[in-house]
Amino acid sequence: MLEANANPAGALRPLLDRRLVVVTGKGGTGKTTVAAALALAAAGRGRRVLVVETGRDENVPRLLGHFGEPVGHAGARMPGGPWAMRMDPYQALAEYLKLQLGVPALITRVLHQQSFRGLLDAAPGWRELVTLGKVWHLEQAREEGRARFDFLVVDAPATGHGLTFLDVPRVVVSAIRSGPLRRHARWVEELVRDPERTLLLPVALAEELPARETAELVARLRDQVGVSLDRVIVNAMQPAPFPAALPDLDRRLAALRETPGPPPSTWAACAAHLASRHALNRHFTDEIGEDTGLHVVELPLLAGGVRGPADLATLATALLAEESA
Amino acid sequence: MSVPKGASEALLSRRVIACVGAGGVGKTTLAAAIGLGAARRGRRVLVLTIDPARRLADALGVSLLGPEPCAISRSLLDRLGVPPNGALFAMMLDMKRTFDELVARFAADPAARERIFANRIYQHVSDALAGSAEYSAMEKVHEMSLRPEFDLVVLDTPPSAHALDFLEAPERLIGLLDSRLVQLLLHPAGGVGRLGLRLFQRSAHQAFALIERITGFGFLEDVSEFLLAFEGMSVGFRRRAEGVRQLLFGPDTAFVLAAGASFESVAQSRDLLTRLEAHGANVVGVVANRIRSWPDATPTLPTADEREAWLDQLAGAFALENGESFPARLAADAALAVLDGYAAAVARDREATAPLLAEAERRGYFVRRIPELPRDVHDLAGLAGIEQRFFANDQELT
Repeated sequence: MLEANANPAGALRPLLDRRLVVVTGKGGTGKTTVAAALALAAAGRGRRVLVVETGRDENVPRLLGHFGEPVGHAGARMPGGPWAMRMDPYQALAEYLKLQLGVPALITRVLHQQSFRGLLDAAPGWRELVTLGKVWHLEQAREEGRARFDFLVVDAPATGHGLTFLDVPRVVVSAIRSGPLRRHARWVEELVRDPERTLLLPVALAEELPARETAELVARLRDQVGVSLDRVIVNAMQPAPFPAALPDLDRRLAALRETPGPPPSTWAACAAHLASRHALNRHFTDEIGEDTGLHVVELPLLAGGVRGPADLATLATALLAEESA
Repeated sequence: MSVPKGASEALLSRRVIACVGAGGVGKTTLAAAIGLGAARRGRRVLVLTIDPARRLADALGVSLLGPEPCAISRSLLDRLGVPPNGALFAMMLDMKRTFDELVARFAADPAARERIFANRIYQHVSDALAGSAEYSAMEKVHEMSLRPEFDLVVLDTPPSAHALDFLEAPERLIGLLDSRLVQLLLHPAGGVGRLGLRLFQRSAHQAFALIERITGFGFLEDVSEFLLAFEGMSVGFRRRAEGVRQLLFGPDTAFVLAAGASFESVAQSRDLLTRLEAHGANVVGVVANRIRSWPDATPTLPTADEREAWLDQLAGAFALENGESFPARLAADAALAVLDGYAAAVARDREATAPLLAEAERRGYFVRRIPELPRDVHDLAGLAGIEQRFFANDQELT
């Protein structure tokens, strides 16, 4: 499935060498699927993995084959080994304030004030900041003399918002003049920008709009955030539908006089459709590689969709194919 | 199951049609196709889009970069079958600029305007403040819907992490300006007296003290200076936000929900549908977009026992047509693999979208399945194809 790219595969640092991988991309590109697949792959290689969802829905546990209660902010261990949680910014904020100020009763009271909630609902950036702050805290957490999690995967909000997400610590550092929040935002900013620990993993689809948006995202991230990027995931690639020896199978099907079942035109139309989708994906994959200058990792479109751990395992193999070589 | 309703019946009498959906489901193309369909039925339509495919804009002969709607040329409209009384305009929303425009419009005087623009907080947060981008987009819809040259505005809703931010944005902005905590930040000494208020002030001061301890000195001052500058403009702002809200949730606006074919996308769409209804939005239709479907009638597929016979037949047919040196057996295997793969894709898309579409039909919404096309829709033929699918079977209602 993976085809040679401009970059030699050996030049890429293994994904699993990092501590924190932030998965981002336009809505509908399959970020969550990629995040879950990466978590499963890392757990399969013996890492202590935490995968963090940041949206309002909880999708990772189901993909990993967990069918119990929602895991929520507290998190839970998933089948296959990784831990999963869905970040609740209000809980993360309460945890942070309690840790900083140590007056739990007061903090609980203030956080439950309706007018304070109203102010929070309108205030920009704090959700992103406390989310990243909690991720920082989890990255630092130690247990039994070692890091509690040695590999963290964050399923970031969709782009547009995804960019703001990683940029918030920098904005806070420049908008706030003093105080502990400024200091902590700086720590988080350092984590985001540290190429040793952190990698941003954009997920794209090989179609016109997502390809363009991915190129714009990568350019803005490089200019603005300074986060490490080395590859882009192109998800849901229609695999080549015909063997290489038969590149014109659709036309040959159309020329047949008789076919079993559906008429030759139907056979040919299905073949032509798949070939055309493949060509379209190929074209925009190349464009994404050229426009971003990043190594492209292709994940196949699974005909039956991505429903559970078996499908994730297929994607995980493709994700890490170049690293096991 | 209720009687299927026509799309044109549900849509063409409105002033605004909002296409809603999670990211990546093809809202922009759908909005353009609905706009084209309405224009072909004699409406004067503006399609407001966020982020059009460049080639789609090129195909329509518009650049979409100006601050004003751009008319699709008459010669193109003739080719598209738009009658002389119909018209089609397109415009792209620049969500970053519009918030500055709002400030410029509603600020009490030039000095107040400059104070807002220069404020440390505004510079950093105006893009993110309380869904301000989404609010600005809705503001533009309102403005355009009042223009006499358009009968109908078709809106491709902003792509946001929470696809409904734009519905909540007017409320949240009004709520922020009205919030007692903000009022107290603006007028710390005002309104003393009533016991309830004093109690409120005490808890508010607790909140402020908390914020101050975390953010250090100066932050709250910057915030209150920012809000103070806003306060002067809040009357006009509030009136406008209320107008936007009334338009969005009034009978003149219809919502069409677009969904993709993946399990993930359908789950998001069902959630979105529930929330739209909870907001009181006037949902009229649900579109499953880019569904893999059979080119003609649903074909017969081989049973497990028939596969060998099918392969033999195919190989024979290939050999007959291409001569003995042709790898007929390989071609037969590949052809059957194509059919298998296609059938799996069709089955998956049908299975994934079925619960959403059944739910929509139960509620009496019109339901459309738009097939995935071999290529991206970036030309007029592709757009016209989607338009025909969308308005299928109800042309007589024009």
